[in-house]
Amino acid sequence: MPSAGDPSQEGVVEGGLALLQGLELGEQPTVDWDWISRNFGDEILPALIGHVYLSFISVAIALAIALPVGIFVSRYRKAYPPVTFVTGLLFAIPSLAFFALLVTIPGVGVGPFPVIVALVAYSLLVLIRNVVAGIDSVPAETIDAARGMGLTKRQILFGVEIPLALPVIVAGIRIATVTIIGIATIGAYIAAGGLGVLIFQGISQDFPTKIIVGAALATLLAILADVTLLRFQRLFSPWTRRAGRA
Amino acid sequence: MIEFKNVSKTYPGSTKPVVDGLSFEVLDGEICVLVGPSGCGKTTSMRMINRLIEPSSGQILIDGEPNTAMSGTKLRRKIGYAIQQIGLFPHRTIADNIAIVPQLLDWDKSRIKSRIEELLELVGLEPGQYRGRYPAELSGGQQQRVGVARALAADPPIMLMDEPFGAVDPINRSRLQDEFLRIQQEIRKTIVFVTHDIDEAIKMGDRIAILKEGGVLAQYDTPEEILTNPASNFVNDFVGKDRILKRLSLLRVGDMDLDPANGNGEGLPTLSDRLTVRDALSELMGAGVGRGVVQGDGDERRLLTMESIEALTKGARA
Repeated sequence: MPSAGDPSQEGVVEGGLALLQGLELGEQPTVDWDWISRNFGDEILPALIGHVYLSFISVAIALAIALPVGIFVSRYRKAYPPVTFVTGLLFAIPSLAFFALLVTIPGVGVGPFPVIVALVAYSLLVLIRNVVAGIDSVPAETIDAARGMGLTKRQILFGVEIPLALPVIVAGIRIATVTIIGIATIGAYIAAGGLGVLIFQGISQDFPTKIIVGAALATLLAILADVTLLRFQRLFSPWTRRAGRA
Repeated sequence: MIEFKNVSKTYPGSTKPVVDGLSFEVLDGEICVLVGPSGCGKTTSMRMINRLIEPSSGQILIDGEPNTAMSGTKLRRKIGYAIQQIGLFPHRTIADNIAIVPQLLDWDKSRIKSRIEELLELVGLEPGQYRGRYPAELSGGQQQRVGVARALAADPPIMLMDEPFGAVDPINRSRLQDEFLRIQQEIRKTIVFVTHDIDEAIKMGDRIAILKEGGVLAQYDTPEEILTNPASNFVNDFVGKDRILKRLSLLRVGDMDLDPANGNGEGLPTLSDRLTVRDALSELMGAGVGRGVVQGDGDERRLLTMESIEALTKGARA
């Protein structure tokens, strides 16, 4: 799994493509390009879209929880250790076990819902920690000056603290997103769809092309999401690039 | 006018007050310096004026009105605020930093724009060059200038300044102090200025409030009076053993009552009439002759002697 913030990711992409081409040159065609072109529209693309959907929804929900919780916890510090404990515990549960446990809950059953719940739970630790770290990184004198000039608490939160915390928050979103895209492949085991479907079918049908396509697309998706988020962060925090040019 | 009426502050969980029964007045258009050792409550006192800290008892009046008559945020938008660590918003450009309070007060865009130009010029930063930069692209001294410009942005009648030149080297600090005194000649704000440095207090203050540990006012007077007649041993120790020399730094030789040099000036060092008496004394001692000729822009030459300097210090002997 590529780590967030790794500048060598483009190298990973090239390496991956070279691998695919290398496989194609083997004696027995490991990658059946013909199958890929025939099934792109009705198998590969839906799996990819399903994966994007699972991952995107999960990160969005996790962020919607982590932002307010992180802001609250950065204000009421006593709540931080228990929040870290609970989210840390969730993070420690093995993913397959987590999916399976959720499925046994009456009324939940299989499908995307338990997978999204688990993916959200996984992202909370990283996201909350980065929201708190981001807000902590705002210089105390900047807050003091903001108060002294007559900004309200709300104006300070939205106009000073969150914009200044943004680079650290986005760094957390990048790690969470890459993690989620990887774990989401296992969701296919409980019928949640996504690229994992191709991988599991590839294993059971002894058809490597499906495994490779599923794995390659999941990896590419993770890299693409990471690079896009980094672009977004740079776009919205121009001051971080021009710092130190006194 | 700012009026402290028996203001005290004790923090919750503590029995010792940090500010104890403070009463004094800051007159319009004056710089009032709060000075004292650490723990004397000078910053706390300043921060109670714009209600960043609320007093435990007593009252602060601004132009006769209690400062509790309006909300804290509304009050603070009317009072300029500059601090030692500057606290520029790192994510906003220089122009946007200066625009913060005018924007809070809903000024229209063109007015804010021309105000930014005016202020950058006032503090000696070329608007075209600095307007669009981020704070991290400026030197410490330039950032402090922007900090002062930002505090002046909405043209508040009152300014609070907490060691506003504290974060730069001594040479730059001296230059910023001189520049600010020149600006104050024009703008005539009512300023409460906090410092721990008695020399800065003497240089900047029209009036100085010396506080001692526990937030008790030890003396409130003009620099001249404090150096001439320290009210207590504490004040005497705080202003230092060189207080007579410090007093000489308040006066320029051009303002002294000196006799014309006539023909006696031959071979004596010539001194600018802009020199402080303290610096002139140093020059005379350096020249080793004990006398010098004071000359300004005109032709008038006047004789400065050790005796004439000594005469100034009469009445200031402990």
